[in-house]
Amino acid sequence: MLLSANEITIQFGGLTAVDKVSIDIEENKITGLIGPNGAGKTTFFNSISGVLKPTEGHVTFLGKDITGKKPYQINELGISRTYQIINLFKKMTVLDNVMVGMHTRLKSGYFSSLLHLPGERREEKEAYEKAYQWLDFVGLKDRAREEAGNLSYGKQRLLEIVRGLASGPKLLLLDEPVAGMNTAEKLEFDQLLKRILKLGVTIFMIEHDVNLVMGVCDSIYVLEYGKLLAHGRPEEVQNDPEVIRAYLGGE
Amino acid sequence: MEKTQKNRMKPYIWKLLLVLVLLAVPLIFSGSDYIMLIICIAMIYLVAVSGLDILFGYCGQISLGHAAFYAIGAYTSAILYNRFQIPMILAIIAGAVLGALVGAALAYPASNLVFHFLSLATVAFGEIVYQLLIHSPGKITGNFNGMFTDRMRIFGIELSTYKMFYYFMLVIAVVFIIGKIFLTKSRVGRAFTAIRDNSVAASGMGINVRKYKILSFATSAFYTAFAGGLYMFLACYVHPDQFMQKQSVMFLTMLLFGGTGSVIGPIIGVLAVTTINESLRFLEEYQMLIYGILLLIVILAMPGGIAGTVKKIYWAAKRKFSRVSQEG
Amino acid sequence: MEVFLGLLISGLALGAVYSMIGIGYSLIYKASGLMTFVQGDILTLGAFLGLTFNTMLRLPYWLSLILTVVVVFLIGFLIEKGIIRRLLNKDVNLIYIVLSTIALSYVIQNGAQAIWGGTYLYFPSVFSVTTVEILGVAVQPEVILCFVMALVGMICLYIFMNKTKNGTAMRAASMDRMAAEACGINVSWTTGLTWGIAAGLAAAGGMLVGPIYSVYITLGASLGKKAYAGAVIGGYGNMYGAMVGGLLLGLFETFAAGYISSEYKNLMAYILLILFLFIRPTGIFNERAIQDE
Repeated sequence: MLLSANEITIQFGGLTAVDKVSIDIEENKITGLIGPNGAGKTTFFNSISGVLKPTEGHVTFLGKDITGKKPYQINELGISRTYQIINLFKKMTVLDNVMVGMHTRLKSGYFSSLLHLPGERREEKEAYEKAYQWLDFVGLKDRAREEAGNLSYGKQRLLEIVRGLASGPKLLLLDEPVAGMNTAEKLEFDQLLKRILKLGVTIFMIEHDVNLVMGVCDSIYVLEYGKLLAHGRPEEVQNDPEVIRAYLGGE
Repeated sequence: MEKTQKNRMKPYIWKLLLVLVLLAVPLIFSGSDYIMLIICIAMIYLVAVSGLDILFGYCGQISLGHAAFYAIGAYTSAILYNRFQIPMILAIIAGAVLGALVGAALAYPASNLVFHFLSLATVAFGEIVYQLLIHSPGKITGNFNGMFTDRMRIFGIELSTYKMFYYFMLVIAVVFIIGKIFLTKSRVGRAFTAIRDNSVAASGMGINVRKYKILSFATSAFYTAFAGGLYMFLACYVHPDQFMQKQSVMFLTMLLFGGTGSVIGPIIGVLAVTTINESLRFLEEYQMLIYGILLLIVILAMPGGIAGTVKKIYWAAKRKFSRVSQEG
Repeated sequence: MEVFLGLLISGLALGAVYSMIGIGYSLIYKASGLMTFVQGDILTLGAFLGLTFNTMLRLPYWLSLILTVVVVFLIGFLIEKGIIRRLLNKDVNLIYIVLSTIALSYVIQNGAQAIWGGTYLYFPSVFSVTTVEILGVAVQPEVILCFVMALVGMICLYIFMNKTKNGTAMRAASMDRMAAEACGINVSWTTGLTWGIAAGLAAAGGMLVGPIYSVYITLGASLGKKAYAGAVIGGYGNMYGAMVGGLLLGLFETFAAGYISSEYKNLMAYILLILFLFIRPTGIFNERAIQDE
């Protein structure tokens, strides 16, 4: 397993938002996390990416316990994420957003930056070219010099994904990646996911778009009221009476 | 072909012109020692304000206590020179390093504080340093008597005139501005800007937010403390009351006046505020009153600083122009 | 023992003034999410105005106090309407609002100097006796007045906030602006009211310390800055925290001056402020407002 979350419980005050949820993510697969609004999906994501420390339970990544590590440490270890509410550096250029994404891959320290030493120059030049390649990957190359905040919603989602990829993760967490995309962008999205997979990046995503989830995911987990309701291959989950009840009865 | 070459030459011509003007300044004002002194002080302020820009303009961290770093630079270098006969330039560097260390020590616990509470912490820090200046252990700072030292001397040459100090300052200012450009355009500078823009996302992208806040505080403090050391050996005398909160606010005003997050902003700001201060001097006891009123008016009328307002006017004019040309 | 009691009484009086300034800080922070740097100089303004009413117009102390509070309340209200609200509407970076309050403090401080001069002005005694005896300690009656009046002021404020319609509206608006607006509360009015009340409290503070310390242009500047320590100790944004924090600060400062050294009392007050910010930014009352962002 690339990542295992073991009996994660998250409480806010007396309220249990996530209740003993265990999941396993297989390498080079797309794993989906679905469930009605307020089921605790994003909260669960936050506990993996280090935004929240779970009240109980452990997260293991590549055999290492990463529970309670800070977000920047988790990113250094090889987990990158996007956010439900887009969290770009809006006042920075599109290119700079990607270059910030490469932060952990670059090695230049404080003094070599301040003095603009040859090693730093070389690395910056390479990073600059690599960033353009990343932008090309999602078709944003010609908008590199614009402020990120000026992009359309769907393009901002793509930029956020590529910014995450630029840090060279083993695992990419996507929180509702197609929310706000137009139909054309949505249709291209499953192709993008497959191309990401080919880079050797495993995907774990929260998504409401049932067609997309059922179409691309290898394995799906369903959450309801903070509890794990079902787990299996798309067709198994689709036919699970509990899931049907939760979706048809719940919304 | 000819045209592209002409375009390529253009920036060089501007740069050459700029260098010539900068070199000619002392000749233009050769008649007035006073004006040369003000220009030298303005260039020292430029170093200090550029430092504040690294902290506030790039990293988004507020400081209302930068006068304290200015004081640390001034007093440390003077004490090292007066008591231990350490060469002035080394004393200034030592003062700036101490400033940076104090800045880092302040930033470590302060990095969790958001905007207003960080400004309170820096106000408190500024007051603590001021109180230590006026009630120093063993009167090492001279307390209310202030502190005296000698004229700047470098490599055995005394900078006996303001003209000489000006050329020395020109080199220093250029070095510090280039350092700022290098730093802010690097991996480190991008991390600063990312923190300013969205610290949650910065952390998610692998940036150790606390570490970079500390780095920006330390760099900023180094700049401002270095400026303090320079001021010490220009004026040869300082009094604790020069390092009160008013001075911190002045640095901030200069930065906001000129515009944050750029090289040119602090230059415009320092020139503008220095000019205003000097031209209000004839008002004597009413100077600060008018200065306060002016400041209020400027904030209300153009809350983006001069640079921001100029930019706005520029864009408005450009839009209007492009519309006209489209219609025509 | 006598020394202790003497310090206790003057500590409480000083603390009460810190409380009054601190309450203003907390009210404003709760209502607007802003920090003001002009409170201290408003205290100075209050002291000068009161002195003018008292000595030049020969009004009795009580009437001068009331007049001062009313006038400065209006000034506070106008500051919010004329400057703060305008800047908020322009959606500027908060730093400009901070700077505008600092600019105001320059205007008040130096305006006061232009009008009343830069010297210490003697505030005539409020009472005919110069000292009263409490538990064997001779105390200036103005010190007792200061503490008692501050307490009365805080009780009035408590009643206003909890028992009147405007007070309830203010509390509602500071908790959830949108919801309050939806309930028909005029939030713009309540925010103005908050700044007015904060200014009025500070001005009253000036009238109370005036007879003890005399009146001069930097009277409020350092009191106002140290009062941040009181507000933070109590829990910035918490009215009751500001009361308790202010009293604690006054006692701490007075005892530190009495038993350790008066040279270092200011230093210690600021060290207290910075330590609380670093170690327990939510204060004694664990006010969570400080973590808003």
